[in-house]
Amino acid sequence: MSSESQMTSAMKEIVGEANVIQDPDRTKAYAVDGLTPKAVVSPGSVEEVSKLLAHANSEKLAVVPRGNGTKMAQGGVPRKLDVVLSMLRLNRMTEHDVPNLSLSVQAGMTLSAVQEKLAATGKGSFLPLDPPYTGQATIGGVIAANSSGPRRYLYSTARDLLLGLKAVSPNGDVVAFGGKTVKNVSGYDMTKLMIGSWGALGVITEITTKLLPLPEASATLLASFDDLSKAGSLTRRVLHSVLLPSAMELTDGNAASRLGHAGKYLVAFSLEGVGEAVERQLVEIGEMAKKEGVSEAKVFRGDQDRAFWINVRDFAAVAGASVILKSNVVISKTAELLGMYEKIAQAAGIACAYTGHAGNGILKSYIMENVTAKTDPVVDLIGRFTAEAVKCDGNLVVESCPSGLKTKISVWGQPRSDFAVMRRLKDELDPAGVLNPGRFVGGI
Amino acid sequence: MEKETMIGELVRLVGKDNVLHSEMHYKLYEYDASLIRSKPDCIVLPTSTEQVSKVVKFAHDHKIRLIARGAGTNLSGGSVSIQGGIAIVMTKMNQILDMDIENLRVVVQPGVVTLDLKNVLAKHGYLYQPDPASEKVTTIGGNFGENAGGPHCLKYGVTSNHVLGAEIVLSDGQVVQVGGKALDNPGYDLMGVLGASEGTLAIVTKAVLRIMPKAEAVKTMLCIYNSIEDGGNTVTAIIGEGIIPATLEMMDNLTIKAVEEAYRVGFPTDAAAILIIELDGLKDGMERLTERILEICRLHNVREIRVAKDQAERDKIWAGRKGAFGAVGRLRPNYLVNDGTVPRTRLPETLARVVEIGKKYKLPIANVFHAGDGNLHPLILFDERDKDELERVHAAATEIMKVCADMGGTISGEHGIGLEKLHGMSMIFSPKDIAAMKRVKAAFDPLNLMNPGKVLPDTEKAA
Repeated sequence: MSSESQMTSAMKEIVGEANVIQDPDRTKAYAVDGLTPKAVVSPGSVEEVSKLLAHANSEKLAVVPRGNGTKMAQGGVPRKLDVVLSMLRLNRMTEHDVPNLSLSVQAGMTLSAVQEKLAATGKGSFLPLDPPYTGQATIGGVIAANSSGPRRYLYSTARDLLLGLKAVSPNGDVVAFGGKTVKNVSGYDMTKLMIGSWGALGVITEITTKLLPLPEASATLLASFDDLSKAGSLTRRVLHSVLLPSAMELTDGNAASRLGHAGKYLVAFSLEGVGEAVERQLVEIGEMAKKEGVSEAKVFRGDQDRAFWINVRDFAAVAGASVILKSNVVISKTAELLGMYEKIAQAAGIACAYTGHAGNGILKSYIMENVTAKTDPVVDLIGRFTAEAVKCDGNLVVESCPSGLKTKISVWGQPRSDFAVMRRLKDELDPAGVLNPGRFVGGI
Repeated sequence: MEKETMIGELVRLVGKDNVLHSEMHYKLYEYDASLIRSKPDCIVLPTSTEQVSKVVKFAHDHKIRLIARGAGTNLSGGSVSIQGGIAIVMTKMNQILDMDIENLRVVVQPGVVTLDLKNVLAKHGYLYQPDPASEKVTTIGGNFGENAGGPHCLKYGVTSNHVLGAEIVLSDGQVVQVGGKALDNPGYDLMGVLGASEGTLAIVTKAVLRIMPKAEAVKTMLCIYNSIEDGGNTVTAIIGEGIIPATLEMMDNLTIKAVEEAYRVGFPTDAAAILIIELDGLKDGMERLTERILEICRLHNVREIRVAKDQAERDKIWAGRKGAFGAVGRLRPNYLVNDGTVPRTRLPETLARVVEIGKKYKLPIANVFHAGDGNLHPLILFDERDKDELERVHAAATEIMKVCADMGGTISGEHGIGLEKLHGMSMIFSPKDIAAMKRVKAAFDPLNLMNPGKVLPDTEKAA
């Protein structure tokens, strides 16, 4: 018996024959950067995940955990790929404690399915995360990738929301960290360590998170500008005011037009909360926008309000971009950075669109070209964009790009002085290099 | 290494003004706010990152244990040198380095006193949210190491939610940057795991903090109850209604009486419980929200409601709350404060169990708690010279931890495990959970020199 068939027969014993795919025609769809797994395995319980990882650990197999695959184009090229571990069968809410405003949910449930259930239960609540592809993205993927969206301006990200999580360590140990209380300093905060760790320190099987009550009212204010500095100035005014929008998004004209709006630049505010506060903020931000010389202002309510933010959140899909870059810089430089990027891209003759969380210092650049025809200029562009982000105390991460580009760039940017600690963490927690080898920062 | 040689070397590294080694100084640095005492072999007060790095490297090269300390307000023995070695006291590094208001960040040295920073920011109209009751003396470094909470954490989160970056000294003396002013730095969230690590992983020499503009409006209510159960049920009902105030604080009768005797803030001494509810944010809709909250209070038999009319009245209420530990401390020679936390809906039944435990062990227990967070602070009062009483105190404290764990909660919400709660870790974590944490410790501090013997229990024993 070949080692490959030994491997799959061991896996079949753990999860049952029906839950192992090894037909090359079908495993192809699970390829990561051109590497096709020998098997796609779908465990149906935490115990099965544990057994699979213990097996992989002893056989030194490379395992890539996967939900619905919305982030498979992100990360470095895997050093090795034996098994794709599909978490989709672990898809239940395990505890929804309505009066405690907390939820425990397994990794394979999609975020949108979670939100629908939450909205429909009792007085209605929500998990305040709005990452791209909410419709398909699974909880495990969103948390492992620390994925976020425009509303992080008010609600922050997973690190400020999660109360605890359960995971399976690379050696097969089933572990639980944190709990379901909103305060907890018992032991190390392993929950935060696991958030955004790209499944490289353990496979997340369940999370416990805080919830928020559904806002009483919501509306959107859109302000178009001909001048970037004025759009930037408006975001600065709001940032330093007492007002509390839930999102403050800045886009260029290309992105605006794809979202169905005119103007060279667009600033969009999501306002949520008690009715009186929503109305007052519409008025006050409207007045601030006028002072800055807004060219056009619009208010969206109801379905229009909802649809607008879904399109912003899922802009990558709306735009059909070939490459997505995420720059993280100090807050006050967001607009300036956008201006700089526009100049660099124009000079290079590369069509881009930009959307940014102006209250968080996060700018996403979407390259709208066939990259294979322009590999070198795109590589050069990414280098220049990165240099500008670093100048603004920040960094640049390639969120999505074709595999061919990945050998020419460092998708996570240059590791910093704390990389030595990350390397040691990976070696301590995953000495056999089982989980996602090579896909994370510095090839860990 | 001989103690004398060690002191000589440290003097050479940081200067004699920054090294303390008299009996009096050992006494001064042998304790924190817990009952645990143990003398360090030497005390160093570095004035720069470079000095911290040199001292840590020296300790590393000679395998000397060390511990970093701030103001020593820790409540779990976390900052006591239980295995001797060098106590690195960070209080001389107390400068605000960068007020980057434009980017809503400040960069501070770890020895900055929390309230001092908040007062400086207030002049500019900005806030650093975490507000541990000890903020008048605690340092930012200590707050981060313990992941300190405070009343406003209900809405704004705890210290580690507000510390976004740091310069740290690793166990071999190497200085590295973690996180920063920008968000989402690629790589593992080292800042996340450093928060609450109680100085067992690294020493912070600079911290980047998130600040925010001061809220437009604040409304503070004092709600007075004849039954503690009604108070607890009010808390559950407010959250259940989908209202998350900035604070939901509660005190029982023993605490109210102690506070009133100490500070005369006007709390009714015959009340069974008081709730301090604060709303903040935009002024719009706040009156309506206040009315909804008061309606819930009335539904749960509130006896009297006082809404603070101005800042002076608000300050008075908060002075009473923040001085609670100190006031209770006047009642008996010692107190031991528990920090168990439960899902907030289980607060009333947990409280009833705490009262039973007090009766069982014949110990007076004063209760102050962050009710909205489900974070209890039962203060067990005693006299440590009475050995029998002391034994009962420890037994009661352990039983309270167990109750909180059984309620689906945890043994510490904000005070830390330190040494005091080490034996409770197995109530909430399996040996495998603790083994994973130990691997993190090994990655940061392979020689186990940084604050050894804290946070993580012996796994064999735990099993």
